[in-house]
Amino acid sequence: MKDLLPYITGQINDVISSIGLFMPEVYLTVLFIIVLVTDLLFGKKSAKLCRIVASAGILLVIFKDLQQVALTGAYALPIFNGMLVLHRTAIAFKFIVDILAFALLLYFAWDKKLQEHKKGLSDLYSIVIGSVLGLHLMTMAINLLSVYLAIEFVSIASYLLASYRTENAKTTEAGLKYVLFGAAASAVMLYGISLIYAYSGSLDVYSKEMAAGLMQTNTFSVSFALSLVFIGIGFKLSFVPVHFYVPDVYEGAATPVTAYLSTLPKIAAFALVVNFVAPFVAQQGFYTNWKGFDFRLTLSAIGILTMVVGNFAAVLQNNVKRMLAYSGIAHTGFALMALVTFTPQGLTALTYYLLMYGLANIAALALANYFENNESITNMSDYKGLGFKYPLASVCFVVVLISLTGIPVSAGFTGKVFVFSAVYGVYQQTHNVWLLALLITGAVTTVVGLFYYLKVPLNLFLKRSEFTPNEISYSTNLVVFSSVIALLLIIFGILPDLLIKFL
Amino acid sequence: MNLLTLLIFTPVLFGLVILLLPSSLRASFKYITLFATLLQLCFSIYIYLHFQTGAAHAGISNEGQYQFMQKLPWISLDLGTVGKMQIEYFVGIDGISVTLLVMAALVMVVAAIASWEITSNLKGFFALFLLLDMAVMGVFCALDFFLFYTFYELMLLPLYFLIGMWGGARREYAAIKFFLYTLFGSVFMLLVMVGLYLSVKDPVTGSHTFNMIHMMNPANYIDGSVFSVLNHATILGMPARTVGFVILFIAFAIKVPVVPLHTWLPDAHVEAPTPVSIILAGVLLKIGGYGIIRICMGIFPEVALSGAFWLGLLGVISILYGAFNALAQRDLKRMIAYSSVSHMGFVLLGIASNTAEGISGAVLQMVSHGFLSTMLFFLVGVIYGRVHDRDIYNFRGLGTLMPRYTVYVMVAFFASLGLPGFSAFVAEAFTLAGAFKSHSVNGLLPYWMAICGTVGILLSAAYFLWTLQRMFFGTISLKGGEIWKTALTDLNLRETVTLLPLALIALALGIMPALVLGKINDSVLALVAFTQNALGK
Repeated sequence: MKDLLPYITGQINDVISSIGLFMPEVYLTVLFIIVLVTDLLFGKKSAKLCRIVASAGILLVIFKDLQQVALTGAYALPIFNGMLVLHRTAIAFKFIVDILAFALLLYFAWDKKLQEHKKGLSDLYSIVIGSVLGLHLMTMAINLLSVYLAIEFVSIASYLLASYRTENAKTTEAGLKYVLFGAAASAVMLYGISLIYAYSGSLDVYSKEMAAGLMQTNTFSVSFALSLVFIGIGFKLSFVPVHFYVPDVYEGAATPVTAYLSTLPKIAAFALVVNFVAPFVAQQGFYTNWKGFDFRLTLSAIGILTMVVGNFAAVLQNNVKRMLAYSGIAHTGFALMALVTFTPQGLTALTYYLLMYGLANIAALALANYFENNESITNMSDYKGLGFKYPLASVCFVVVLISLTGIPVSAGFTGKVFVFSAVYGVYQQTHNVWLLALLITGAVTTVVGLFYYLKVPLNLFLKRSEFTPNEISYSTNLVVFSSVIALLLIIFGILPDLLIKFL
Repeated sequence: MNLLTLLIFTPVLFGLVILLLPSSLRASFKYITLFATLLQLCFSIYIYLHFQTGAAHAGISNEGQYQFMQKLPWISLDLGTVGKMQIEYFVGIDGISVTLLVMAALVMVVAAIASWEITSNLKGFFALFLLLDMAVMGVFCALDFFLFYTFYELMLLPLYFLIGMWGGARREYAAIKFFLYTLFGSVFMLLVMVGLYLSVKDPVTGSHTFNMIHMMNPANYIDGSVFSVLNHATILGMPARTVGFVILFIAFAIKVPVVPLHTWLPDAHVEAPTPVSIILAGVLLKIGGYGIIRICMGIFPEVALSGAFWLGLLGVISILYGAFNALAQRDLKRMIAYSSVSHMGFVLLGIASNTAEGISGAVLQMVSHGFLSTMLFFLVGVIYGRVHDRDIYNFRGLGTLMPRYTVYVMVAFFASLGLPGFSAFVAEAFTLAGAFKSHSVNGLLPYWMAICGTVGILLSAAYFLWTLQRMFFGTISLKGGEIWKTALTDLNLRETVTLLPLALIALALGIMPALVLGKINDSVLALVAFTQNALGK
């Protein structure tokens, strides 16, 4: 204890100076408490108020995120004694997470089934705000301890959300499945972390000690430990082979929650991988000549497998949510392609792609939700002829799915071009066959993707059926919401410059 | 305001107007569409008349020689160590595109008139129609590869819905087949496009560019890049430039369509409503041919020349296979669809010969086939609209029942089979002359290819004349009996007004091919010289 005394002042100073760089998270913490208190004070009728507070708060947090851009410049700033790091990419990811969280906060209450929840939605808002705090930590974590804590933070919030509304055995099963698999995955990850700690005596991924420790250790053991860690992260990313829980959970959860699960944790997990992998793949660093674990090879192989499995499995689905679940898996694979470039340009492409994926996926689920609210249908085959009954919603659906497929003119297409050019640029320099394989898989699976995405417009417009002329149309909010997103997707498709400079 | 930009975006503006108008005004939509296409036709005729000829305006690989150019910065992205990405809104035309542009504009007018038969969901139909119109014009004008690709892909979605929502019984199958086929070709094109732009640098700004004209100059390629001419890089063990050429060629060959990638075409044609068939045959197939000339030949000239034999072979196979298939069809529309495959084969054969005659013939064949196939499909639409049947064997003696209709059918058939005096004759004669000459000039194509091409003309005479004999001659005998007899009225004014100009143009181009050849000649010569130079290096 006495030995530590001289360090205490320095450490405290570091913590105090770090707080300045931690403002969005501080705001989120305060916001979390405010929402919670609002819920307690106003009881059952607080849902609306909580929603307003939460959405307004998130806007403030977005503002704070943007302020941080000026703060960091081009540097990476370690905060809280190297537990977290703040840099451009982390800020971009936080920005994306908050934007999408804002969209989701608006959207939650528009689901008919969640709305009818007898406990109200106030809790849901506080959970979401809490999870956004966790997501922020995920984007900045570089110490294995903070990595683990951030992931658990998000996991627990996700478990709560996934089983927020359980109406029948199936949804309960989905919720339970998620918790069990999640717990197992985090245990596996923890095991991996402890192995790494055992090899190196350090938890800081960026430290010299860890590099020295890992390089001395037997390659197989290190690979084993790193693989275990990746399984834990992969659970959040939902790449193959740890994707098996995804379709059931997405189908079972309330649709807005599915929108949450399929976007936010996934995007933050990408940020986590970026941070985690960075020291190992840096051009100059501790690991320059280390051949222990080929990150590019591993992640490329996973990416290819994920794209293939996700896309081909999606073809077989009839339930919209399951189809989008598998398509989400496929998009993870595609985004991994941008990640394995390990270049700043690749990261820009990655963030752009993920933001566009997030927006499109939320809109797609919102529209699925719209049909669910109005017609109580979730199967694509039941969409027959509804395009003429709900023209605006259906046209938006087409636009959103076109963006997910990646056909011009849509933001999904520009995202795809950015990713392809990032990968191609690296391929041109290194002639790594894996990158070429990724490019080809990405192109082929686009065609497969078209096949299942088009099932929706096919049923909406091409198949004809008799429908009863409209009684009352619910959820106009959802249509407006998704129309705005669809419009944004087209605008960013034509003018990606508007956005790309922020990422 | 740049004329080409006006030409491209006029339709989509009217499309927006249609979308915003209430459905109660749906009767006016067809007039708005017709007006938009007519306006576009006026623009294109103005452009045609003011198009400068002469060696100084040849275009092809000289950016300065393109006409009606507009260049605006569009997307720029910092790529860090690799440089900068530069995407421009860059449109311009040379001799190759100008005549196709006029042809496309006229076909669109005819298609708009043919849309009178559409009765359901008018708002959707005309909005998609005009969107498609914009994309088609954009493809012919774009000189930036990214812009080209955007327009190229933008055609798919409207077509999918146009075939899928207003088509015949098997429309879903035909629509998805068409979409998947084309997308399969074009996603790989996307990869090549990205590879090309990362290989090329704008000599002025020094950033990576999608400018097609810069891609044609070997000096703009970065040393050591994948597609550099000097670098001889390989992709999976194959020469990179050959791979790039083959991928682009496949993408366009699907559009042309070249046998064996043609199987989407009969299905799409048969299921599509008449206006869409007209656009498909009249314009979209030409985009394939145009792409091969502009992009495959322009960017990979040396590969195109070394592979000329195979291109020619595919052309000949298309000519013969399409013709034999046309002979075997019972469905009139299917017969014409296969005749399109056969006629587009001449385009490929002409391009492969790489002689001035051959390439001029190919372009002329595209223009001529644009008008003739429009006419043919419109004629099929006339009969199908009246009795909802088009099986050749269900009709007999139409000549006495519908004399005026028969006259136009005879004009269209005789023009298509290459009767001297009509446009197709000149076009096919030129391509075959090019193919014959090729053996002695550059040794690319053997004589037998030209001979097989000639056999193709013979076969086309066979299937057209046989159809004429089966359907129009003899005594009246219809499957539907008296009901059909009353339904099958002769051409009305709207139909006559549509068909007459087409017939006159087919005749005019046959008598005065200079209307087209005069405009394209300089560009064709420049293209031939350009490809020969590329081989010399």
